[in-house]
Amino acid sequence: MNIISLRLVVASILALIGLCALIIAIEYDFGTARRMGPGYFPVILSAILTVLAISEIISSLLKPEVKLLDWRPMIAILSAVAGFAVSMYLFGMIPAFFVVIIITTFSERRFGWFPALILASITSFGAWLLFSKFLGMTMPLFQIGF
Amino acid sequence: MLDNILLGFSTALTPENLLYCFVGVFLGTFIGVLPGLGSLAAISMLLPLSFYLEPTTALIMLAGIYYGGEYGGSIASILLNLPGTPSAAVTCLDGNPMAKQGRAGKALFITAIASFVGGSIGVIALMGFGPAIARMGLSFGPADYFALMLLGLVAAVTVGGGSMVKGLIMVVLGLLLGTIGTDVTSGDFRYTFGFLELRDGVSLVAIAMGLFGIAEVVSSVREANSRKITEKVTMRSMLPTKEEMKKTYGPMMRGSTIGCFLGALPGAGTVIAAFLAYSTEIRIAKDKSIFGKGAIQGVAAPESANNAAAQTAFIPTLTIGIPGSATMSIMLGALMIHGITPGPLLVTDHPKIFWGLIASFWIGNLFLLVLNIPLIGLWVKVLQFPYKYIYPVVVALICIGVFSMRTSVFDVGLVVIFGGLGYLFQRVGYSAAPLILGFVLGPMIEENLRRAMLMARGDPYRMMSDPLTGTILAISALMVAWAVFGAIRSLTTARRLKDMPSSEG
Repeated sequence: MNIISLRLVVASILALIGLCALIIAIEYDFGTARRMGPGYFPVILSAILTVLAISEIISSLLKPEVKLLDWRPMIAILSAVAGFAVSMYLFGMIPAFFVVIIITTFSERRFGWFPALILASITSFGAWLLFSKFLGMTMPLFQIGF
Repeated sequence: MLDNILLGFSTALTPENLLYCFVGVFLGTFIGVLPGLGSLAAISMLLPLSFYLEPTTALIMLAGIYYGGEYGGSIASILLNLPGTPSAAVTCLDGNPMAKQGRAGKALFITAIASFVGGSIGVIALMGFGPAIARMGLSFGPADYFALMLLGLVAAVTVGGGSMVKGLIMVVLGLLLGTIGTDVTSGDFRYTFGFLELRDGVSLVAIAMGLFGIAEVVSSVREANSRKITEKVTMRSMLPTKEEMKKTYGPMMRGSTIGCFLGALPGAGTVIAAFLAYSTEIRIAKDKSIFGKGAIQGVAAPESANNAAAQTAFIPTLTIGIPGSATMSIMLGALMIHGITPGPLLVTDHPKIFWGLIASFWIGNLFLLVLNIPLIGLWVKVLQFPYKYIYPVVVALICIGVFSMRTSVFDVGLVVIFGGLGYLFQRVGYSAAPLILGFVLGPMIEENLRRAMLMARGDPYRMMSDPLTGTILAISALMVAWAVFGAIRSLTTARRLKDMPSSEG
């Protein structure tokens, strides 16, 4: 199995970001050095970013190092945050808290449903107390909206 | 001057403000104690709580959160040998050996005292030099601002340690992220991809929470569960002997002085301050062998230095409006959310806020001392509490914090992107702090450069010919040259060391 160097992957992502930013920025008005347009800064910055990222790609190819990712917590926590966004939008704060906490607990193999549910209940209660009762924030606790 | 200080204290000393200062210090320490989360995460997470308060009260609470977060970070680093911030890494050198010898209580006590001493001296420096620098700042033109901000970015890249190319990439990426939104001069939209939410730019809190909050939590899940703290910290074990106290006076004073000078520089002030204070102690010590093996001086000096530096770091932030570090950028963002634009005019137009803030800095430091010495047992308990019940709550708090900033689900989505990127960056050794600095300074740099170039009629040499602008730019150039030279030298010495059999341990 081929192990792709993580450093190479990150450098490539950065180069890609730089390149895309450059392509988009070329559309903007560049202006002159005296009267810089909205495109002046983005073009220069994305060009520098692309060049630097390419130099990182080259040096990571010359010196490959093996670094591993903790896939499980990464995917669990990122999807928990995404789940919070979706359920906050659709169902309100309390369901969103349950979603984010329960999905986060998937980061560990043996967390168990019961502790996850208890933790979610306590946190939701605390959040309701703090944000709604104490600070008087106006956010929907429960709703069904699309 | 005295009137101003009195005005400051009378503003800060209302019961309500004291209460929020206390709450801030308490919550800040609580979050700072959690592994991986420092003052930066504490401020971003608790920022929404301050929206409902008066600006002055809100700032006092934020200052409390900041100090609490810093101190909480030191507690975690001493007990776990897991420095949350680069400046805490220096404290670890002697703090963790002390903990291993069963002197954790003393290390924590000295940390609190040294922080207080350093902080107080820093506050005095802030009072003394702040207004003078603000007066100087009034005469700065756009070109000078541009040069100063560039100096800040250069310092962040060259001094922070680690790969310069990686630091540069992060700064440029930050600057680029800063261009997202509506262009101030022309009103054109840049990189908004048709999203209404992006027209005001990317939310600073969303970026910071993704890069520092989520990324830290992801990487700490595995390690934190395997860690155990067995030390018991009781009140009695905390009190150092008279002899030990005497040993710390000198280091604290020297550390504070070093910290005051270096903190005011933009860039990585607190880190260099802590390192320099530590190495100064080693240099002047009669018995150099005690360092690294639990020397109490090795805890007192860097802690007082980094707290003094943390105070004087507010000088450029408040009086010129240029933050020197990632945490200061968040503070600057917080000030702006409360309708205060830091800069030379803050001192003259809003003396109540400026002096109230400074007075509350000192009160925050004092609270830290009175709060943390009796509560240290509680913080140790927080550290001993199983991490598996803590991080899900932290993730939930990050989500709700970012959401409530602008009541925006979109921002929470950004946290997913920046959290993922942040974790990747961290694994490969990119430091996120320069990115935040670039992001905050980006729009200001662009605006000032545009104005400066307009005034110089598009001729960069004309812009540089101004004595002040030219000098500041020359300092930046020197720093780059020095860093490049240093990198080459360390490469050659590394090669030479490889050829030679190791003579020194």
